[in-house]
Amino acid sequence: MRALEPWVEAPLQTFLAESSARLTLLMTSSGQVVAQHGFSRSLDVMTAAALGAGIGASTEELARLMGSSRFEALVHHGARQSCLLAGFGTPRGRWIGLVVFGPETSVGIVQLFFDQMVQQLASAARRDEPAAVRLPENFEHELDASLKALFGR
Amino acid sequence: MSLVNFTAREITCKIVYYGPGRSGKTTNLQYVYGRVPESRRGRMVSLATQTDRTLFFDFLPLELGSISGFATKFQLYTVPGQSYYNATRKLVLQGADGVVFVADSQARRFDDNLESLQNLQDNLLAQGVDIRQLPVVFQYNKQDLPRDLILTHEEMDDALNFRAVHSFAGDALHGTGVFETLRGISELVLKRLAAGAVAG
Repeated sequence: MRALEPWVEAPLQTFLAESSARLTLLMTSSGQVVAQHGFSRSLDVMTAAALGAGIGASTEELARLMGSSRFEALVHHGARQSCLLAGFGTPRGRWIGLVVFGPETSVGIVQLFFDQMVQQLASAARRDEPAAVRLPENFEHELDASLKALFGR
Repeated sequence: MSLVNFTAREITCKIVYYGPGRSGKTTNLQYVYGRVPESRRGRMVSLATQTDRTLFFDFLPLELGSISGFATKFQLYTVPGQSYYNATRKLVLQGADGVVFVADSQARRFDDNLESLQNLQDNLLAQGVDIRQLPVVFQYNKQDLPRDLILTHEEMDDALNFRAVHSFAGDALHGTGVFETLRGISELVLKRLAAGAVAG
């Protein structure tokens, strides 16, 4: 499991243990990865987040067109595994959860513990104020050399 | 907005390729995908129609490498250019750290370029973002076409580049200007991140 900020870890760990989810991805509404479990390649995580955020955003727009406030969750049932996609509010903005699970659990169990995780994340975020972003002071100085090396020009 | 993970020492930035339909946004990503080593890129996802026009977005994740010990990753997106896909353009534009505006250099596409640029400004404003505050570069694509069909780099600058930001002549199909454009926007985005993030 990997999380962008430590306060996300405990609620996510509890969810994983209780729900038996195979893959879990938490992302911002613009598709940036906040935390993940089960993916083996970081580039695949980014792709899944981009697609999940796209589905979430288009579903919200669809709900708006239809006069609904918002769809709470989407479930795709597959032969071997299924997928739950749900948006939720946090003190750090709107996030989206993507959960892949198999027949060893059920959509009801996953949804139940997902909702519990959302509540735990909300209270954990309130306790843990966002830290100021501080990059090394030599970051900008090293940027030119790094870009030359990376792009070869 | 950019995400900085201090635990894993990672920076992730979102770059959106914008511009009118058929200007070459997807072609830019396809060229990058074809030239970057597999270890540095993920799968390129294209949500397209049956005729290969972008329907929702194209997406290509890239690992640029390490800068000051931070693994730097870029998420490259394109938007669908056709005017009737504005709802999806707005969605893809959310949280963009930088924009590459890919203009079509053909003289007959002049109005399409202007309309798309205006649409970009409108969609950013709707999200509370002033285009003057966002890293943007221009790429004038299709500069390989016969001279009598296109506007020159200078003429394109006069028509579109009111803020005199970085602009690049392009022939995305054959790769001219593709990596120069990507380097240009990468530099702007990362310098902006450093300026806003480094401790004073």
